[in-house]
Amino acid sequence: MFSRNALRAFRAQPKVHRVHAARALATAAESVPAPVAVPGEAPAPTPARSQWKKPVDNKRGEKDIVQTAVILNRSPTLSRTATAFERAYYSYQSRIQRALYNPLPTEFYFKPGSLLEGIFMKEENERERKAFGRPNLNPNFYKKEKAVELLPGQEEPPKLMPRITEADKKKDIKSLDRKGERNLYLLIQGKDEAGENVWRLPQSDVTETEVLYDAVQRELRSPYGFGMDTWVVSRKPVGVWRPTLPQDSADTRRFLFFYKAHILAGQVRPDGKSILDFAWLTKEEIEPRVDQYYWSGVKDMLSDF
Amino acid sequence: MSTPLLTLRAAKPQLTFRAAQQSVRHAASHGAFKEQAVSDPKVETIRRTLYPSNLRNRESPTGGWRPNVGRRLQRAIPSVQAHETIERAWFLHKRHIRRARQAEIERKFKCMEEAMETLYGLDTRLYLEANVEEDPRQKSQLEIDTLKALKGAERRAVDSRVRGLFPRELRVPTDTPPKDGWNHEWSPLTRPLS
Repeated sequence: MFSRNALRAFRAQPKVHRVHAARALATAAESVPAPVAVPGEAPAPTPARSQWKKPVDNKRGEKDIVQTAVILNRSPTLSRTATAFERAYYSYQSRIQRALYNPLPTEFYFKPGSLLEGIFMKEENERERKAFGRPNLNPNFYKKEKAVELLPGQEEPPKLMPRITEADKKKDIKSLDRKGERNLYLLIQGKDEAGENVWRLPQSDVTETEVLYDAVQRELRSPYGFGMDTWVVSRKPVGVWRPTLPQDSADTRRFLFFYKAHILAGQVRPDGKSILDFAWLTKEEIEPRVDQYYWSGVKDMLSDF
Repeated sequence: MSTPLLTLRAAKPQLTFRAAQQSVRHAASHGAFKEQAVSDPKVETIRRTLYPSNLRNRESPTGGWRPNVGRRLQRAIPSVQAHETIERAWFLHKRHIRRARQAEIERKFKCMEEAMETLYGLDTRLYLEANVEEDPRQKSQLEIDTLKALKGAERRAVDSRVRGLFPRELRVPTDTPPKDGWNHEWSPLTRPLS
């Protein structure tokens, strides 16, 4: 397949000799130059993998509008909550395990009659009672704060933060602390080509000389993205949307390539000019805000949970 | 038989070939010869734990004799049929989750395939550039030249983020959120030491 050598060979050739470079990509048997994509025709049917060895030299036409968008994802920071069925099943299984366990040789692990043994036996009896009682489906039942007596020299156990954060309670859609279990995606409100305010994923044009990956990087380093530590997963796009918008002429083709990136730290800093507003939303929260046609092209690239 | 022979027979010691059933009497517990400081009590505890007595009066921690497992299981599970129903319900639940995840992955993959094939048909240069394999061990000439010019925090920032590798800041999900929450005030000018 295409290798770095092929790319180097391709890049090294000046424009005049591009045909010869195309031949460099050919296999021994193939020597027929491929037809160049003519703007205005219907797009060629997607080639099967066996045809990729044919020499091709496609170039984006002047009427083609090539843009990139970035799916900026904040991955889940919290583990998933177990459903009621899962919790019941886990407590059922732990009860069975308790029944099958060999007894612990406490005289080996603890000095007989010591304080530590007393604490351990008390906790063990508590666990035994919990296991063989009814499985309680209320997850908060066992989380009641109990006065824990500390042994001399023992540190206080660390205070754990609640899973439902302040941002969840206030429903602050700009905060990245909200919905720790879910995947959050960045949605930007900006002006589209018609001049209307639309909510969509961050988008930018690709100039003639640059590559799609560079366009994505440039977008993420723009003034609003400067305060975010991001990582683009791959040089390859994860999706494409080929819309036919009413304002386009018949021979204009639009390509919107999507790239996947992660945000590791920081926040969006809207400048109020190109970026009017932003939000960090889950998949089902994005759907009512965006255009339906846009959503139909984008929804399969996002994670459900 | 005559009684002398019977008494002789009774007096003969009973040979048993079930050596494992011989009762293990630990040295210190044997009747008349109880010596107080035979060995270090810790060593004694370890010996008793590794070789527990096989007198059948207590459950063995090594699992040699567990008579009450049946009774405990009966208390743990409602019935065999109920247990099997619960297991089947669980596998069904797992199957639903697996199928949903598989379907999501297939949809995403189809999107990726469609994107690459569209790019192939659109522009060869863009397609080839997208397919470039990034080797984290090799730096391109441009990167080497840029690195020479950088100093201090900027250089550390560029060094820490290796092209083609995952960044170390990608966090594994935890049960509870961090104490300070998300760092909304991150700035590229104050990167931590790599």
